[in-house]
Amino acid sequence: MKKILSILAILLVTVTGTNAAIRIVTTTMDMRSIAEMIGGNKVSVSNIATGYQNPHFVDPKPSYIIAISNADLFVTVGLDLETGWSPQLLASSRNPKIQKGSPGYVDASEGMGLLQVPSAVNRGEGDIHIYGNPHYWLDPLNGKVIARNIANGMERIDPANKAYYEANLAAFNVKIDMKLKEWEAKMAPYRGSKIIAYHNEWVYFEKRFGLQIVDFMEPKPGIPPSPSQLVKVINEVTANKIKVIISSPYFTTSSSDVVAKQTGVKELTMATSTGAFPSIKTYFDLFDYDIDQLVSVLK
Amino acid sequence: MQIPIPKKIISVVLLMTIMSVNNRTVAQTAEKAKDSLLAKQAQDSIALLKMIEQQMQAGQTNQPQAVPQQTRSAISANPDIGVVADFRGSYISQGKRNFNAYLNETEISFQSVVDPYIRADFFASFSRDAATGKYGAGIEEGYLTSLSLPAKLQLKVGKFRQAVGKINPTHPHALPFIDLPNAYVNYFGEEGLNDEGASISWLVPNKAFYQELVFQVTSGAGESPSFFRGDNNKMIYLAHLKNFFTLSDNATLEFGLTGITGPNDSSSVTNMATADITYKWKPVQMNTYRSLTWQTEFFYSNAKYSGKNESNSTGLYSFLEYQVAQRWFLTGRYDYAQKPYDRSIVENAYSLTAGWLATEFQKIEFEGKMTHVNKEPDYNQFWLRWIFVIGAHGAHQY
Repeated sequence: MKKILSILAILLVTVTGTNAAIRIVTTTMDMRSIAEMIGGNKVSVSNIATGYQNPHFVDPKPSYIIAISNADLFVTVGLDLETGWSPQLLASSRNPKIQKGSPGYVDASEGMGLLQVPSAVNRGEGDIHIYGNPHYWLDPLNGKVIARNIANGMERIDPANKAYYEANLAAFNVKIDMKLKEWEAKMAPYRGSKIIAYHNEWVYFEKRFGLQIVDFMEPKPGIPPSPSQLVKVINEVTANKIKVIISSPYFTTSSSDVVAKQTGVKELTMATSTGAFPSIKTYFDLFDYDIDQLVSVLK
Repeated sequence: MQIPIPKKIISVVLLMTIMSVNNRTVAQTAEKAKDSLLAKQAQDSIALLKMIEQQMQAGQTNQPQAVPQQTRSAISANPDIGVVADFRGSYISQGKRNFNAYLNETEISFQSVVDPYIRADFFASFSRDAATGKYGAGIEEGYLTSLSLPAKLQLKVGKFRQAVGKINPTHPHALPFIDLPNAYVNYFGEEGLNDEGASISWLVPNKAFYQELVFQVTSGAGESPSFFRGDNNKMIYLAHLKNFFTLSDNATLEFGLTGITGPNDSSSVTNMATADITYKWKPVQMNTYRSLTWQTEFFYSNAKYSGKNESNSTGLYSFLEYQVAQRWFLTGRYDYAQKPYDRSIVENAYSLTAGWLATEFQKIEFEGKMTHVNKEPDYNQFWLRWIFVIGAHGAHQY
């Protein structure tokens, strides 16, 4: 019996003593990129949704449960962005460490300044978000709030490395400030530019870089473009001399093709997330890409 | 990061201090000067207020906004409540009453986490009895699920749709056709195998692919043709092994095996084995526009009856669902079924369903079905189903 106990004790020491990285699962690639920058070599991060898929409509495949069931930290964009899939995956994960309210659960939207928070909810207005527009990571300054929340999560479950995470967080914030100046300078000549967007997911980007989204291809969020909406958009493009319709990799361009053919407006598929295109490897690349693309069509 | 709240508070405190200081000054001032001073103070206060407003507006454009107050409806301790109802029209080429229109079922769901250890899911159903046309209320499902058992175990207790294959655990409104496959109805009835008891599932620690083993013991109160609990202690036992493979980002394959044993209405035993296979193709990038599902289930039943009689029977269904456009789905299905009590009665059926999904909250489907039974005349059926959801609606199983 003593022998067994000592073997168990040795096993326990080896298991807990190994300096294993914290296993993190994030719902999206943007959360993954920021978690990697804050966690550095103390973490291993995987994501569920790819950067080129619609984050509202991710299929809750059982295969995702394998990673979630072994995770120490779960990072979600929150609000109701992932409402159709992440609660089910969490409930099936059998992992009490990362359930909502546990130390390993990070809602990156905590303390976020939200836009378009409805005072009442009516699905007649389309797919509206009851807590406010959840595409907040598209304002780089909000990246700081995300990073703070993720760092808090890491420090809750790994307090020994607090100084390391805080140093990485400070470096991240400095880089955001530095890059933001660069991005704002690039966009400065185009402040006030009127554009059309496919879906209502650019409000934070629009506000940060001084764009003006006149209308959407979707008549209401989540409702496919209708012929009457196309006519409306064509008139708006002509009246306002709009240069570009922006869309995302997961929407078809058939409706904006019609508008482009009628008016000569340019179509631009922008990245809504890290990983949307092969060159976008980090959260910083996301804005580099989008701003360069936008500047090239607004010139 | 700076947030404007402290600034706001400081400004308000500053304003209040100035006003209170002003008040004291007023009390000490001579009567004559009172009117003009008051006017001046009012002007000062307004100017200060304007200055603060300007500062706050300027501050807002440079920094992330303060967290707005959440609306009361958004945060509450109530469970998620949803209503799913389906209105139907039907036609059958047999009998005297060929056409029918009715509100088939209204399901009200209450779902919430109870505490850090369990969650509760309840589905009350108001459904129409096909024979009498009268509506009755019942609990379709009501169960608790553990959230914090060790060793990757999950316990479910209550009344639940059991883990047989793919159709049985799914609520009928989520299926891509209106009627249920013949073989399934022959063995489990229109309501499916939905019973009271306990279920324990284990996530097999297999890193290569997803594997789940489920074991269920139920008391046999459900109304299924295959199983019936008599006045004794014989329970229904079920085991299901689910294997799920990710073939690529866009394609998955699921293979499941189920075994069930339990008492039947002849005070003897029915043993069943089923196998299910599902292939799904859904391009990750354009997953709201195109998808394809091929799903097949095989059923085998060995029913022992009083004396030395026994009956072996088999059945299957196979369907192919193709999403032709963002809102349009087409599903073709083939059914083969032997009657569990007499394998010489064989049913073959072919059906085609077109579904239009207006949004995630509304769909309209139309199905046509031809049934050929070897000892009876052929017949045709048509259905129209209009389903809507109001309130909360949780995600469906993949």
